[in-house]
Amino acid sequence: MADTRNKQGSGKARAIYASKERQDEWMQAIADRLGRPRITEMPQHPFRGAPDFWRAYDLQQEERINLFMNNWTNLGGHAFRMSSMEEVGRFLLDFVRETGAQKLLMQRQPELMGLGLAEALHDVECTVWDSSAEEMIDEAAQADIGVVVVDHAAAYTGTIVVLSSPDKGRSTSLLPRALVAVVPASAIEASLGPILKGLDARPKDQLPAGVHFITGPSRSSDIENDLTIGVHGPGIVYALVVG
Amino acid sequence: MAETAGSSVKARSKQALQDDFLRKAVKFTTERLKNGKRKATEEHGNWEEWRERGRQIRLHTIAHLDYYLNLFADNARKAGAQVYFARDAAEAAVITREIVREKQARSVVKSKSMVTEELHINHVLEEMDVAAIETDLGEYIIQLAHEPPSHIIIPAIHKNKQQIAEVLSEVAGERLEPDTQVLAGFVRRKLREQFLAAEIGMTGCNFAIAETGSIVIFENEGNARMCSTLPKTQITFMGMERIIPSFEDLEVMATLLPRSATGQKLTAYMSAITGPRRTADGDGPEELHIIIIDNGRSRQLGDPDFQELLNCIRCGACLNVCPVYRHIGGHSYGSVYSGPIGAVLTPALMEDPSEWQDIAYASSLCGACWEACPVKIPLHDMLVYLRNRKVESGTTPTAEQVMFKGFNYMMSDHRRMERFLRLGKVGQKFVARDGYIRIKGPLKGWTNYRDLPEIPKQSFRDRWKELQVEIAQQPRPKTMIQDIEQRMRKVLEERSKGGGSGGGHQE
Amino acid sequence: MYPRVGEAMVRILARYGVQLDFPKVQTCCGQPAFNSGYWDDARASARTLLEAFDDSDFVIAPSGSCTGMIHHYYPKLFENDPAMLDKAVRLKEKTYEFSQFLVNVLGVEDVGATFPHKVTYHPSCHGTRLLGIKDEPMKLLQHVRGLELVPLPDAELCCGFGGTFAVKMSDISGAMVSEKVHNVESTGAEVLVGIDMGCLMNISGNIHAEGKPIRVMHLAELLNEGVSS
Ligand code: SF4
Repeated sequence: MADTRNKQGSGKARAIYASKERQDEWMQAIADRLGRPRITEMPQHPFRGAPDFWRAYDLQQEERINLFMNNWTNLGGHAFRMSSMEEVGRFLLDFVRETGAQKLLMQRQPELMGLGLAEALHDVECTVWDSSAEEMIDEAAQADIGVVVVDHAAAYTGTIVVLSSPDKGRSTSLLPRALVAVVPASAIEASLGPILKGLDARPKDQLPAGVHFITGPSRSSDIENDLTIGVHGPGIVYALVVG
Repeated sequence: MAETAGSSVKARSKQALQDDFLRKAVKFTTERLKNGKRKATEEHGNWEEWRERGRQIRLHTIAHLDYYLNLFADNARKAGAQVYFARDAAEAAVITREIVREKQARSVVKSKSMVTEELHINHVLEEMDVAAIETDLGEYIIQLAHEPPSHIIIPAIHKNKQQIAEVLSEVAGERLEPDTQVLAGFVRRKLREQFLAAEIGMTGCNFAIAETGSIVIFENEGNARMCSTLPKTQITFMGMERIIPSFEDLEVMATLLPRSATGQKLTAYMSAITGPRRTADGDGPEELHIIIIDNGRSRQLGDPDFQELLNCIRCGACLNVCPVYRHIGGHSYGSVYSGPIGAVLTPALMEDPSEWQDIAYASSLCGACWEACPVKIPLHDMLVYLRNRKVESGTTPTAEQVMFKGFNYMMSDHRRMERFLRLGKVGQKFVARDGYIRIKGPLKGWTNYRDLPEIPKQSFRDRWKELQVEIAQQPRPKTMIQDIEQRMRKVLEERSKGGGSGGGHQE
Repeated sequence: MYPRVGEAMVRILARYGVQLDFPKVQTCCGQPAFNSGYWDDARASARTLLEAFDDSDFVIAPSGSCTGMIHHYYPKLFENDPAMLDKAVRLKEKTYEFSQFLVNVLGVEDVGATFPHKVTYHPSCHGTRLLGIKDEPMKLLQHVRGLELVPLPDAELCCGFGGTFAVKMSDISGAMVSEKVHNVESTGAEVLVGIDMGCLMNISGNIHAEGKPIRVMHLAELLNEGVSS
């Protein structure tokens, strides 16, 4: 895990605020305020998670796909159904050619590496996420298109979920103007519930540093409540549902 | 924080009420947010059950806050974050300053965080000659205009396109058209440079997951993702009450928060960040500092009247339905937090009731906030409790104390009240015209906008005897109509069994 | 307005043989003092009222707001006084706002009134939110012959009364009542009807000051006028 562990404020003025003593002091103060001894055992939590009727919410796979695609489109994104990764490859080639994109950034994911895009696109810079390289962020900032295979998706909200890892930069889905998300049909859940429960179930040291739920393009209504798209994150977002 | 004119809500709101654009803009936006919420909650269905569930989760977490906060801190540390506990703004400033100095930061990019507003972190950075750049579009605009936010969710709600174009043109060094796309496009380019250059990113935190030590941020623009991905150091400020136990519980919050705030099913981005980047990762901050803030919050713990205040998820729904906010906007409240939640939270965070002036009086107690709140916080009740504490602290105006003593004297015994009414009528002859009174004096505020009804020449009490006689002469059933009598008996019977709730709603 | 409303209530209920009594010692529910934080003073008023109604079966009030005070806050006011708390809970159980009593207890929706006018209805905040009055007044109005009920835009917005709020924050309150009256006007209604004396006094005060030709009536008044004519 992260190498910053145990470096905690040693020898610094702020160390007292980060100390175990301070933490204990705080917890004791909270317990005192609540008028009872400190609780150190996990309490019964009878209301954990969504109400029961919602836990039962489920859809057939086709329904999930349709609902996901509908929601994604309503949010201002574009959604296409594809039968295979080959079709995804062809789509990307067309997309790059038609938009005149100069630079494309992909996550280091086998599905994407197998597309042979770098070979097919000679005049376009095609970069694969490389965590050992310096300046990956700059690469991402210069890319016109970022391509990711999502880890999960939720139909009910029209959400894709991407997890960070050495092979999957957080910047790829954030910095380029356009995001192309490959969504394996089998990764689409009916709602957020199962995905979140999955995060709870992971061994703690296997949670990625960044879990990003993305629901449509970047947007803002801060100017006279007028919707604008792509204010910081990608404004053009494609979801290619495969399978 | 920029100062707004006048020292009291009353004075500031007077000014706001004269600003026609402001009123219209606030009305327009809150109206749309309110309708968006209504639509979203109806579409989703079972809203009351979701609200109740959200409330229960928040109640449970706060009731066991020592356990969950401790668990969060331990887990966040295990994930590599550095966790601090800051009692107040001064302590938060000490921690911030030291980190900033250590990183030799020259610029800090910030995503929207009400807590940093509350702590005046920007001021701390300015003093160090470090650029603090707000990156949420609305926050960026008001920062350039040197104004505080006027809405929890839409900070620049009070500014129109023209004004925004002027502010941004100055930065651009060229004239920008008052067109949303043009303006937003400029901000995107401008801030992109800043994101890439800043040494530190600062964020707030909507929820913190105790069981995993994760912080969760909801946003639409992607600027919070930038702040938590690009700079080498991330500092996250969180109120000590932001905790929920698990990701499973987050599903409920993710259902309530975006729908209540903007009518969205989910914000464009919901990010769960657990520790700094893993050693082998190619991006993400190398250091994550989490500063947990009390700043008056713990005062609510164990206080039966106010503990529920800690359940607030800062969605702004109460602002959008508030008939007072609608007319006076956020700045009139003179506090970082405005609207109904601000009217309660601002005094509640203070140590003694004499510190606040009249913010808790800026409400007609209509209860619209309570009805809208996704976690059912009875803000309208809390306002009354605050007022009561102020009275009990002896810091209300003497004239008012005397008035209510007089009121009490008059009301507690009907004979005095009757006498008062008669006396009122004698003096009244001189000012009454066609049944209404116009007066100057203590009730002047009232009569600026309306006439006061004349105290009736004959009170109901006086009329009662005559009325009895008149009714007795009217044709009417000698005894109670039978089925009506039966119904009344039934109600009485149910009540005696303990099932009666009178005319009220079932609590 | 007050005595007329009280009288109208008495007359309507008398039609069903319901005999009302008006206890001699009745005073005010104490809401103005309570809402301003003067609880000792509110308690004194409340105590008088609790005593006055202790032996009645039903208590009926012409204001959702007073009824709301009794329902929502009396128990809080006496939370540390078991004897009074007991009385407060009993009072709460038997106190009704006029339209609730008529519809939910007596089971009356049609009082047999005729009122050939265009009418709009303002649902009071405390009536709807604290007491949960939703349809009762509507049911009564819908059964009035000749009455044309027009919806009030933004009906749920507070009229700005809020007791002492109208005096303490008079400018804000003034803006609120102006907006309410503007909305009432936009319906083209001849009559604004409501169920809360405070709101009605507030709204009618503004209408009167502005010299607008809209009549403001309590629901009981309207029904009574409709059966007498
Ligand atoms: S009080 Fe309720 S409605 Fe207001 S911001 Fe907090 S959670 Fe939202």
